[in-house]
Amino acid sequence: MKFPYLKEAIKSAFKKPSTEPYPKVNKEAPEGYRGKIKYYPEKCVNCGLCIRVCAPGCITRTIEKVEEGDKVTFTFYQGQCTFCSLCADFCPRGAIELTKDYHLAVTDPKDLIVSGTFIKKAPPKPPVQPQNQPAAKNQESNA
Amino acid sequence: MLKELIAKSFEKSPWLFHLNTGSCNGCDIEIVSVITPRYDAERMGFKLTGTPRHADIVLVTGPITSQSKDRLIRTLAQVPDPKVVVAIGSCPRSTNVFNGSYSVEGPLDKYVPIDVSVAGCPPKPEAIIDGLAKAIEILKEKRRAMK
Amino acid sequence: MVVLSYLFYVLVFPGLLFSTIVGLILSGIDRKVVARMQKRIGPPIIQPFYDFFKLLGKETIVPRTASRKTFLYAPVIGLLALVTVALFIPMFKFTAISTVADIIVIIYLLTIPAVALIIGGAASGSPYAGVGISREMVAIISYELPLVIVLLTIGKKVGMALNNGAITFSLSQIVNYQAQYGPMITKWSLIPAAIALLLIIPIKVGSVPFDIAEAETEICEGPLVEYSGVPLAIFKLNHAIKMFIMTSLFVTLFLSGKGTGILIVDILLQVILSAIVVIVSISTLKAITARLKVEQVLKFFWTYPTALALLSLILVWMGF
Repeated sequence: MKFPYLKEAIKSAFKKPSTEPYPKVNKEAPEGYRGKIKYYPEKCVNCGLCIRVCAPGCITRTIEKVEEGDKVTFTFYQGQCTFCSLCADFCPRGAIELTKDYHLAVTDPKDLIVSGTFIKKAPPKPPVQPQNQPAAKNQESNA
Repeated sequence: MLKELIAKSFEKSPWLFHLNTGSCNGCDIEIVSVITPRYDAERMGFKLTGTPRHADIVLVTGPITSQSKDRLIRTLAQVPDPKVVVAIGSCPRSTNVFNGSYSVEGPLDKYVPIDVSVAGCPPKPEAIIDGLAKAIEILKEKRRAMK
Repeated sequence: MVVLSYLFYVLVFPGLLFSTIVGLILSGIDRKVVARMQKRIGPPIIQPFYDFFKLLGKETIVPRTASRKTFLYAPVIGLLALVTVALFIPMFKFTAISTVADIIVIIYLLTIPAVALIIGGAASGSPYAGVGISREMVAIISYELPLVIVLLTIGKKVGMALNNGAITFSLSQIVNYQAQYGPMITKWSLIPAAIALLLIIPIKVGSVPFDIAEAETEICEGPLVEYSGVPLAIFKLNHAIKMFIMTSLFVTLFLSGKGTGILIVDILLQVILSAIVVIVSISTLKAITARLKVEQVLKFFWTYPTALALLSLILVWMGF
């Protein structure tokens, strides 16, 4: 019979426990932790690259036509997110950021949704060209 | 007085049952790490039980695969009232990357209302402790509604 | 008046209430000490009380395949047996009930909680419970032999001094012997028997290296698999009281003596010594070992503790 941990157990009984007092003292996540998503709509250019790289498909985009241009809404449903950070890596403008906040326990799933809206202004309309061969163009488009 | 004691005991001694419905084991490892010396959920009275009959809080991980669907429903039916269902990770909430697979029958709220969901893939043990703290509040409310 | 005093014995002082409170506190101390040995903070010492009261508030489910009455009354049978044992164990000078053959009664009555567990598990109709009760039987087979030899050894030692060489089975006589000649642990020929009994206590209460019957990670808590609510609370209470009774029996057999003469101080001393025995024999083993296999438990108990107990018996028989 061997009890290799006997010494260790008796020593530990008189030492300070190594438990972290978590709910009382908040703990910072380590550097590079991928937590809650933050979306900056003012930086976004509506390229849609994040939607293409998202594996679970948690990013959805809705576009509404308004007077000034397109009203674009990006919605991130974190209940479906893998926190892989691919969207943030691929974003050409840095409009998506995965913060170090990990407090994602919720009772209402609506709290997991992060969304942002911006209005993408339509480019100024070019001056109307005189139409030379309207009949021929119509034929091409029909064909 | 006995009623008050029981009501107080409900927040001090919630027992957990861990149910894996086809998870990738990431969340399971994080659940186990909640009861390690570093996080030590036992100081709040949490205890992992071996059988659903002893449990108060059911921790579900994984998208519900078609093999585990029947077992999930039977296991949840075996938990005595009051009970709380906690979805650990993104999978039970929305089936995550397995969305649309032929062998996945999730998400969990098709079968049972989810009381608390902890997002993350996998969530940090601190986030699981947060979720369990919220689950205790719901457990107390359910106990009050019972009588 | 006699009836009232016996009612007091059964319901309050060495019986139900006292052994419930002390047992739950002892199991709380056990959990705390194990946690500290594993460098955790651990639950508060009154955690078993919270567990007990919470289970009283839960729904009680009786499975369809179970035989209802047996399933519900099995834990109560175990509790009654344990409360009866609590009456027989003297605390220094104080005894509630004393007969000429306490030890035999205790050996029989201490088997009943295990049998109640077997009956309850068998009545629940679950295959896990079936595996669990077969393992519980293996546990009973393994610990009964060394336990009886240890008790015989002490009986012989006391009998040679006080009873003209005939084995005594009376616990009050054992306490008298210790009051005259000092605690039993100071006799060197009985130290192997003390170690054997320290190893028997964990399997008797079903704690970690020997908890083959209630292996919760392996066979879903064995016989308790279908229990919930109040019957489960009573089983947990049985577990706690068993812990108190086994350690109290150890204190009475090996560490007893004259006492201080004041009843309350004596009782406190008994409880504190019991807590020390819990820490030495149950918590330390629990913190440093993992569960043994079924055949390893049988092999272990029929070699080391049996050999130690037999060694003591032979030494005592030879007059040391």
